[in-house]
Amino acid sequence: MTEPLLSVRDLRVSYQVGRNFVHAVDGASFDVPRGSITGLVGESGCGKTTVARALTRVIAENATISGGQIMFDGKDLAKIPEKEMNALRWRDIAFVPQSAMNSLDPVYTVEYQLGEVLRRRGGMNRKQARARSEELFEMVGIDRGRLADYPHQFSGGMRQRVAIALALALDPKLIIADEPVTALDVIVQRQILDQLKELQTRLGISVILVTHDISVVAYICDRTVVMYAGKVAESGTMHQTLTAPSHPYSMGLRNAFPDLQGAASGVLTPIEGAPPNLANPPAGCRFKPRCPFALDICGSEPPVIDVAPGHPVLCHRAKESASLRIEAAKTETWMAPA
Amino acid sequence: MGNFKAVGSRLLQLALVLWAVVTILFLMFRLMPGNPMAAYIDPTFTLEQQQQLMAQFGLDKPLWQQYLIYLGNLLQGNLGQSFRYRVPVGERIFELLPNTLILTFSSLIIAYVFGILAGAYLAWKRGSWVEQAAIPMVLTTRAMPEFWLGMVLLAIFSFSLGWFPAGGTRNPGNEYSGLLDLYTSRDFLAHLALPAATLAIYSQGLPLLLMRSNMLDVMKEDFVTMARIKGLSNWTVVVRHAARNALLPVMTSFAIAVGYQLQGNVVVESVFSWPGLGRELVNAVAASDYPLAQGAFLMIALVVIFMNLLADLLYAFLDPRISHA
Repeated sequence: MTEPLLSVRDLRVSYQVGRNFVHAVDGASFDVPRGSITGLVGESGCGKTTVARALTRVIAENATISGGQIMFDGKDLAKIPEKEMNALRWRDIAFVPQSAMNSLDPVYTVEYQLGEVLRRRGGMNRKQARARSEELFEMVGIDRGRLADYPHQFSGGMRQRVAIALALALDPKLIIADEPVTALDVIVQRQILDQLKELQTRLGISVILVTHDISVVAYICDRTVVMYAGKVAESGTMHQTLTAPSHPYSMGLRNAFPDLQGAASGVLTPIEGAPPNLANPPAGCRFKPRCPFALDICGSEPPVIDVAPGHPVLCHRAKESASLRIEAAKTETWMAPA
Repeated sequence: MGNFKAVGSRLLQLALVLWAVVTILFLMFRLMPGNPMAAYIDPTFTLEQQQQLMAQFGLDKPLWQQYLIYLGNLLQGNLGQSFRYRVPVGERIFELLPNTLILTFSSLIIAYVFGILAGAYLAWKRGSWVEQAAIPMVLTTRAMPEFWLGMVLLAIFSFSLGWFPAGGTRNPGNEYSGLLDLYTSRDFLAHLALPAATLAIYSQGLPLLLMRSNMLDVMKEDFVTMARIKGLSNWTVVVRHAARNALLPVMTSFAIAVGYQLQGNVVVESVFSWPGLGRELVNAVAASDYPLAQGAFLMIALVVIFMNLLADLLYAFLDPRISHA
């Protein structure tokens, strides 16, 4: 197997809130193979956006990367000096934000903002930047005549395309897309995802897609990383994690979304409760308070168990996952208090 | 183009505001207690003489007729005769207006250039000791009354150190061939220094604090974070993106500041015996020289209205979201 493009090991990111430290990411490990789309899934506040931002090392003022490795193309992004990191930004690692409206500067034309990156970061001259901008607009399917427009003159879907064009500008190796379609309606979502997939395949880029929406993962991702409360609960191929989820949280997440095949199973089963407060997380397995399969042993730190090659699961009962899945498919399982 | 329509409707609004100002001014002076001629007419005049004078100034006519005559005269640029100087009000005002405008704009431009730069810098240095020390200082300058600050500057730099003259626009005896010659002379600039410094110190707090708080807001915007993720230089992020966006409301405040400043000028011009419109206004009111006071008020209102129009147009030019809306 070829070496993955990105290999995150035991990543820790903490926020200082008053005198306390909140460990938003507490030992996350996962790989992003070359030329693939990896979905980073989890509910709000599980640390997925923090992971995404930590990869660029542009994080909130009160946040620090307190440990771990981010091996990217042979370099540890957690350790290299800021200058070296900045050289990588956008040339190797680009970013597609959730809301392109707020992430484009309202007072400059889109062409200016493309040109800014192409010239200041890509070393192009005015003419080359103009040609490249036109090429990029063609790639994302926007008329080149609209280059001179301001961000507010575009619709939501169009702006997201502009954001993708911006991310592609310098031919990066990795694009991190943080909830890129969440703010859009489903039809536009699909168009944007199709486009992203098509460009990713054609250009051979790797993509990390941060989302809370399992159906987005099922639609375009090759691999899945499921996060819960600052830790990776389970990771594997999209197929493994969605058809054979082996962590109770992934099973619950799977039940909480409409059937991807469109079969009318009818009932959606939510996971009761909310993720723990990361300022004071529960001892042992962090999913224990909400888990219908929790045992006494779950009060101790769960091990990482490979249920299949390249499919690690953070659970004491990972080996029993086949039988747990059958239980988990029943709505009653999630209704009864654990 | 929508732009022309917007400017057109703005101009129409402006005309309406102007008419309202003119009308209010007219009524205000007529409704004031006392006969406008009281200060002008010598008590030894006979009743006949008095009536003759009243007729000469048109004050014997009914109010609505006076109003129409006043409007008609205004349209022809005729602001009436000063009771005191016995010269056309327009002539007197245009003699003084340049002095006021030079004082206002030189002090405001200094205040805004300084305020914008310092405000942006303080936002950038948020939480440092520089910021902790600077903010109370700025608040102090905002709290000082202008006349007091003017007198302190006079006491120190004029009476005690003797670096700057105490009042007026030039030393007696100096003659200049023209206005440009006067305004660029060392003599004039030395006279301008203290009143302009007083107004600049008083005014810089507004743009400074406004710029700083806008910067702090804009720095939290997604597009600033994105600019950092793009690996753009700190300078590009702070100046081209954060400061450029934070500047928009500050530019509008400039126009409003001109209005405040003209009001503040009344005080500062009096302290420094600066022969401007503000000081003349005070003198005219004190001397019951109604046509002159009316004219001075009107001119000040005109400048404020014009600056507001300018601010609107400038804003549309600086913020593409407005011009395309």
